[in-house]
Amino acid sequence: MAQSLLIISRQAPWSGPGAREALDIVLAGGAFDLPIGLLFLDDGVFQLAPGQKAAAVQQKDLSANLQALPLFGVEQLFACGASVAERGLDPAALNLDEVQVLAPAELGALIDRFDQVITL
Amino acid sequence: MAPGLQTEFYMKFAIALFSAAHAPSSRRALAFAQAALAGGHEIVRLFFYQDGVHSASDNIVTPQDEADLPAQWRNFVSEHQLDGVVCIAAALRRGVLNQEEAARYQRPAVNLSAPWELSGLGQLHDAVQAADRLICFGGP
Amino acid sequence: MSTLHVLSHSPFTDSRLTSCLRLLGPQDAILLCGDAVYALQPGSAPLAALQARGETLALYVLAEDHQARGLVVPALATSVDYPAFVALSIQYDKVNSWL
Repeated sequence: MAQSLLIISRQAPWSGPGAREALDIVLAGGAFDLPIGLLFLDDGVFQLAPGQKAAAVQQKDLSANLQALPLFGVEQLFACGASVAERGLDPAALNLDEVQVLAPAELGALIDRFDQVITL
Repeated sequence: MAPGLQTEFYMKFAIALFSAAHAPSSRRALAFAQAALAGGHEIVRLFFYQDGVHSASDNIVTPQDEADLPAQWRNFVSEHQLDGVVCIAAALRRGVLNQEEAARYQRPAVNLSAPWELSGLGQLHDAVQAADRLICFGGP
Repeated sequence: MSTLHVLSHSPFTDSRLTSCLRLLGPQDAILLCGDAVYALQPGSAPLAALQARGETLALYVLAEDHQARGLVVPALATSVDYPAFVALSIQYDKVNSWL
């Protein structure tokens, strides 16, 4: 049975290649039909903020890749509710319909459900 | 089980490095890898991602009185015949190119060579699936 | 399931330790290495946060890093060398490095 992998994405979208490179790991895993989960934590939740315009800083729009996640078979998508609230984001208005917003107390249990984890 | 006790288990490790040779975490990753082999365990793959690709660069010049990490990594991989993989997408973005890629993109310099192989993230996932433990190193 | 969390960033400039403590499970452990060993600095808020976890916190610190920084290891932490680091990575079900 395949080992499951949780990617914890903590980087804001336009702070360098970190957010994209975390997402690339997830998409590659999905492409290989592996059980992959993605948790947006700390500044990583800014990847889900509405109204972003990547072109303004000559970057590629990440939201297309995010929307593609379920198509790649990645449906275990989570965001830390405390990170969302601290940053003044509306948990109901995040730019990814399938994302489950979790309380901090639930995050430990989430990590426990996966065999391996990469936090970047 | 208290740390320091000899483990009875034989474990397969996948080790991923996310930082350049000058980062303390690169040296720490190598020290961990050496300790894993010394402890009788196996390393299924070393996978260099993000700035980790720079730890595989042939072009790092270290002062004579400092540890030459790229050379140490290279020697470690060669000596133990390990599978040392550098992520091709991360490497291209950061200007770490082997002969093939330098020719493909008509770039003036080659700074990646054996024992390092350029490959995709599939190799990271493959290593994670094959290993008992995935250990990542990065940051300071 | 138990996780060994590995931290290497200074707790004074960075939020990783705080985030880690927020989701740390009862079976989990923390290994401080690199600049994260500054969390053991006496009289500091990070040390207080670690002490507040009480006896239940399994806290380890990489020997070379506290030695390099001249830090005294308090009773709540255990100094480990690389063989012990390897042993810890096996003892816990997985390793979560806060890159």
